[in-house]
Amino acid sequence: MAERLLTRFSFFERILHWVVGVTFVLLLATGLAFAYPALFWLTALLGGGPSARVLHPWVGVLFTAGMAAMIVVWFRDMFLSDSDRRWLRAVRAYATRDSANVPPAGKYNAGQKMFFWVQGALAVVFVASGVALWFPAAFGASFLQWMRLAHYLATLGGGLFLIVHVYLGTVAYPGTARAMIDGTVTERWARHHHPRWHEEQTRP
Amino acid sequence: MADSLTIRRVSASPDAFIPISALRSGGPTYAKLVDIGACIGCKGCEVACKEWNDLGVEPTANFGSYQSHRDLSPKTWLLMRFNEVEVDGNLNWLIKKDACLHCEDPGCLFSCPAPGAIVQYTNGIVDFNQESCIGCQYCVTGCPFDIPRFDASTRKVSKCNMCVDRVEAGLEPACVKTCPTNAISWGSKHDMLALADQKVETLQSRGYANAAVYNPAGVGGTHMMYVVPHGDRLADYSLPSDPTASPAPMTGLMFMKRLGAWMMGFGVLGALVHFLRYGPERLDEHGDHRDHGDGPAREAPSARLGGHDGHGDGPARQAPSA
Repeated sequence: MAERLLTRFSFFERILHWVVGVTFVLLLATGLAFAYPALFWLTALLGGGPSARVLHPWVGVLFTAGMAAMIVVWFRDMFLSDSDRRWLRAVRAYATRDSANVPPAGKYNAGQKMFFWVQGALAVVFVASGVALWFPAAFGASFLQWMRLAHYLATLGGGLFLIVHVYLGTVAYPGTARAMIDGTVTERWARHHHPRWHEEQTRP
Repeated sequence: MADSLTIRRVSASPDAFIPISALRSGGPTYAKLVDIGACIGCKGCEVACKEWNDLGVEPTANFGSYQSHRDLSPKTWLLMRFNEVEVDGNLNWLIKKDACLHCEDPGCLFSCPAPGAIVQYTNGIVDFNQESCIGCQYCVTGCPFDIPRFDASTRKVSKCNMCVDRVEAGLEPACVKTCPTNAISWGSKHDMLALADQKVETLQSRGYANAAVYNPAGVGGTHMMYVVPHGDRLADYSLPSDPTASPAPMTGLMFMKRLGAWMMGFGVLGALVHFLRYGPERLDEHGDHRDHGDGPAREAPSARLGGHDGHGDGPARQAPSA
């Protein structure tokens, strides 16, 4: 018997996710190239050093637009409830696959919601410091040095979260990534990962 | 002069902070000494700089000062700043020969992310290689003297290179050669420091009690030094009193980059270890015994129900079992 599928993300949501995802990875790669001489070769992704320096901010503009749209589309779903707070306290059970002790999640679990808010906050830091570094002539040297530090710290935070995000969304939980490809998940996946959402979706 | 173009430091490389020359005893380092007390403000050095480096003319206009241009530019590497200051009731020109000071610890080189775009030779000269420059202008941010200038049309940064091509051929820089009053001297750093002390002594004996050498320790000393008659008025000469090659945010950035590399490395490693320990999650291990086949046939996805998807805080419900 074929597994019934539930629609998890609309076409528009998937487009937004991949605009932000692709631009973020490009920005991360070229950003790390600027931060670490050993990774300078990554500037080749945007055509070499000088052209990467020109394009990095423009890719950032795309990222900012995608991120802004994403925040508008999703922020209503992302407020933490009391049940989410219980989920966060049980994060250890979640990480060790002790699913009996993980409070049932709605459409998004508390980890996903935190990912959303942290990346949103980091995006603000990225944009604010990035604009200054894009137009350094308009700012003082000391201020720009602090902006370099801020831009790097945001990169570090975003990079670390990306590792967790990609790991959980792909190899750790098979059946998850398709939600961002064809937009669907299996019912069994939904029942296991997002029982309250599953119930809403299948309620007659 | 054979080793005058031996490289000492290279930007964005391990050799930026641990100089290559630390491997062997360095040769002589050069220094330019500018005796501001002997400068008559002729600006011949500006012209010589333009000529030798083929920088071209930049039209300027009178803006109420004896100064030729308002500021340094990608085509003006040397500018005599005519600071008009009243000292003891008399108008004085506290002239500053504004150009790269060629720091022993160059903040521009430390800030540069482009491998090889900034080099320091063992002779002390700090030089920009425009072919490796990516135009990020971080060097402008890192320079405590506000010297490098960005050219928006070429997207490259440039500054005084101490006429490195002349020095390599055993000649003095063009500004030194042209100065009619010998206000600019050229020689080994050792000799120039001795000469500076002599000049300071002379100035002091002539009533300039605060005469001083400007060779700031915060950047490890410089390869262009000044003798300033009014050493207590550095700000009036537009000279920073305590420039540093490693300001707090940059020290923080360097530390965080190192820590961050470990964190990101361990992040990837952590995900790998987690995967080896827990593997890909298999749903049927968790009490879901439904018969399933992952065939391609897909039933119509259930319609999304209206309203927001559950972030409500209802009592934890069991997933329906059918």
